[in-house]
Amino acid sequence: MSRVTTELDFFGLEKKQTNNVPKPKFKKFLDRRRSFRDIQGAISKINPEIIKSLLASGANHADSSTISPSVPSTPKADHPQIPISPVQAPLTMQTEHSSGTVPMTIFYNGTVSVYQVSPNQADDILKVVMETAPKKDKSIVKDHSVIPPTTLRTKLFGKNLEGDLPIQRTRSLQRFLEKRKERLVSISPYFPTSG
Amino acid sequence: PKLLLSTLLIPSSTHTHATSSSSPHAPPIVIPILDFDLLSVCLMTMEDPDIKKCRLSSVTVDDVIEQVMPYITDPKDRDSASLVCRRWFEIDSETREHVTMALCYTSTPDRLSRRFPNLRSIKLKGKPRAAMFNLIPENWGGFVTPWVNEVASSLPRLKSVHFRRMIVSDLDLDVLAKARLDELEALKLDKCSGFSTDGLFSIVKHCRKMKTLLMEESSFVEKDGNWLHELALHNTSLEVLNFYMTEFAKINAKDLESIARNCRSLVSVKIGDFEMLELVGFFKAATNLEEFCGGSFNEEIGRPEKYMNLTFPPKLCCLGLSYMGPNEMPILFPFAAQIRKLDLIYALLATEDHCTLIQKCPNLEVLETRNVIGDRGLEVLGQCCKKLKRLRIERGEDEQGMEDEEGLVSQRGLVALAQGCQELEYMAVYVSDITNESLESIGTYLKNLCDFRLVLLDQEERITDLPLDNGVRSLLIGCKKLRRFAFYLRQGGLTDVGLSYIGQYSPNVRWMLLGYVGESDEGLMEFSRGCPKLQKLEMRGCCFSERAIAAAVLKIPSLRYLWVQGYRASTTGQDLRLMSRPYWNIELIPARKVPEVNQLGEVREMEHPAHILAYYSLAGERTDCPPTVKVLREA
Repeated sequence: MSRVTTELDFFGLEKKQTNNVPKPKFKKFLDRRRSFRDIQGAISKINPEIIKSLLASGANHADSSTISPSVPSTPKADHPQIPISPVQAPLTMQTEHSSGTVPMTIFYNGTVSVYQVSPNQADDILKVVMETAPKKDKSIVKDHSVIPPTTLRTKLFGKNLEGDLPIQRTRSLQRFLEKRKERLVSISPYFPTSG
Repeated sequence: PKLLLSTLLIPSSTHTHATSSSSPHAPPIVIPILDFDLLSVCLMTMEDPDIKKCRLSSVTVDDVIEQVMPYITDPKDRDSASLVCRRWFEIDSETREHVTMALCYTSTPDRLSRRFPNLRSIKLKGKPRAAMFNLIPENWGGFVTPWVNEVASSLPRLKSVHFRRMIVSDLDLDVLAKARLDELEALKLDKCSGFSTDGLFSIVKHCRKMKTLLMEESSFVEKDGNWLHELALHNTSLEVLNFYMTEFAKINAKDLESIARNCRSLVSVKIGDFEMLELVGFFKAATNLEEFCGGSFNEEIGRPEKYMNLTFPPKLCCLGLSYMGPNEMPILFPFAAQIRKLDLIYALLATEDHCTLIQKCPNLEVLETRNVIGDRGLEVLGQCCKKLKRLRIERGEDEQGMEDEEGLVSQRGLVALAQGCQELEYMAVYVSDITNESLESIGTYLKNLCDFRLVLLDQEERITDLPLDNGVRSLLIGCKKLRRFAFYLRQGGLTDVGLSYIGQYSPNVRWMLLGYVGESDEGLMEFSRGCPKLQKLEMRGCCFSERAIAAAVLKIPSLRYLWVQGYRASTTGQDLRLMSRPYWNIELIPARKVPEVNQLGEVREMEHPAHILAYYSLAGERTDCPPTVKVLREA
């Protein structure tokens, strides 16, 4: 079965095509990671009608009606995928799950993310987006198999709630977490130096 | 009298107050609160007419106290005893074996040696606790030099030295080594900095009978691995070797193995990152080893059995294997039932792995891990580990994409833990969500809790149940033995009423760390009306004014140490002088901009808000401050 997805350029990416200076792979990976943090704010800019139409057409559309012909500026091959990452579905062959979930693709700021989403879950995303104050939606948060809670965490952009006085870690714990990150990245199948 | 003493030795764990009845032979004396009933029994027996007949006529109370005093080891008891009279003060001075100075600037080296010339062991702390969290300038102070020089000149019986969060140079180590030689049995450089492996070499070369050598979490310059080699060549007494959380790269596994072979009493070894397979020889040789932490697992694709044949010494019961993942975990299963202490903070286990492992460790008494244990892991802990005494749950990774799934602890886990592990004495936990009810259950079930620390992480914008006023009150009322308490929340986490509860219901608490609590100066004033035994107070991110802080300090009777970061500064910066008083040192670390490297490798200037540090001292104002530290001089 061929892949059926509708790709919509929510944010007019073709205008924001990043320049072609190749970034270090790790940095690109980090950009992508950082983008999750901003997604909450980003989603709030999406026209809900677009999401609705995406979901409505999700199960039965015939061809990809791409508004923007732009290719995601982070090519798939450079997408380091982390074993624990919520986004595990490779961007190539995707089949519709029997549970009725379909891929939902979000383009944001030069990066691409794909989630398997059921219409109910997408509705929930919609609800979150449409409410004036961002709120954590518990029904989504509990479904670990599809949408990781962290992407919907209602955290303020870049800032934590304490402003100047973030909760600090001890040095040894910080060092350990850095080493852990190196290990996670290096065992990713997309990292060129790993087995 | 000695015979009398030995037959009457009755240890008592409760404090008693005893008075002797008046009689012509023994003047009435009030015996201060002592841990042992021994003294009171002795003195009362001397009153006993039957025993009087057989006692030696020349025995006096002073002779008795000379015999008894060495058995009194609790410093508070010694403190009380030393206040009775001049003679008792002298006897305490001559026989005191150990002193801990919570802050090395509270007195001077010569005062220490003059009062306690026969010290066997000292523990000195330097930098504020906040230094462990990178908040204090590296060169803040806490130099061991004057203390080491005093040891060399005036403490001839010293065997054990413990420096915590202090600055130690190679010269200091050399002076200490040459002064104490084989008499030095224990050296702990605990979260210290400023030395190199040359200094370690000097210690090991001159002090051949070392039993304990610790450098945990210290930072130093590594020039070579000679110090360890020297230890391997000449030491047969070593019992504890600890360089956990250090970055030694030039040490040799063969030396570790030699040490294990030569030191039959070696029971505890903690090292830094070191490939586990290179330690096979070490493990074989260390037949009496009970505790091991550190090492490193490095999985290889295509070699799943790489670590399967690792065997451990037969008595091993305290363990923390760095980078241990679910594939390596099964090597613990054969002896999991005897494991008493487990350090999983630096392991790579998921929630499910925690559940699997914990279920196999019914004798677990101490667990340290990250919040990846999750509520589910805490439920398993509550079901399976009834002997648990100490639990530490650290904050795991929260960078998006890098975090552990299910890696959150909330009220659900806390309730299960409280109901299941009722022997808990120490509990430190970073939670992502919390309710009053969960704090109440801690108060209901954890009657042995002496040390409770809770930090509410800042990831979630909405917390289920704030403020925590009622919960914290129930917890404090229920946990009657609480002596150390940390409560680190966020704005809205605790009202002024809640803060007043903390003051009101903590009769035994000696140390507190309060973060983002209260709403206004009113709350702090109410708080300060309580805390009768509070000696050390740390506050961060609170909204209190300088004036209120100064006023509160003056009201808390036992307070001898204050640290604050994040407060409402006065326009003049002089309101702190409201707490000026004799022997009270007040220091400021004004707000600074510090260049730091963030997660993306970028160098940014980070704002560090101002700190206040204030403490009682007999040493006068500091004279060794770096430029970042300002002493508030007498006006």
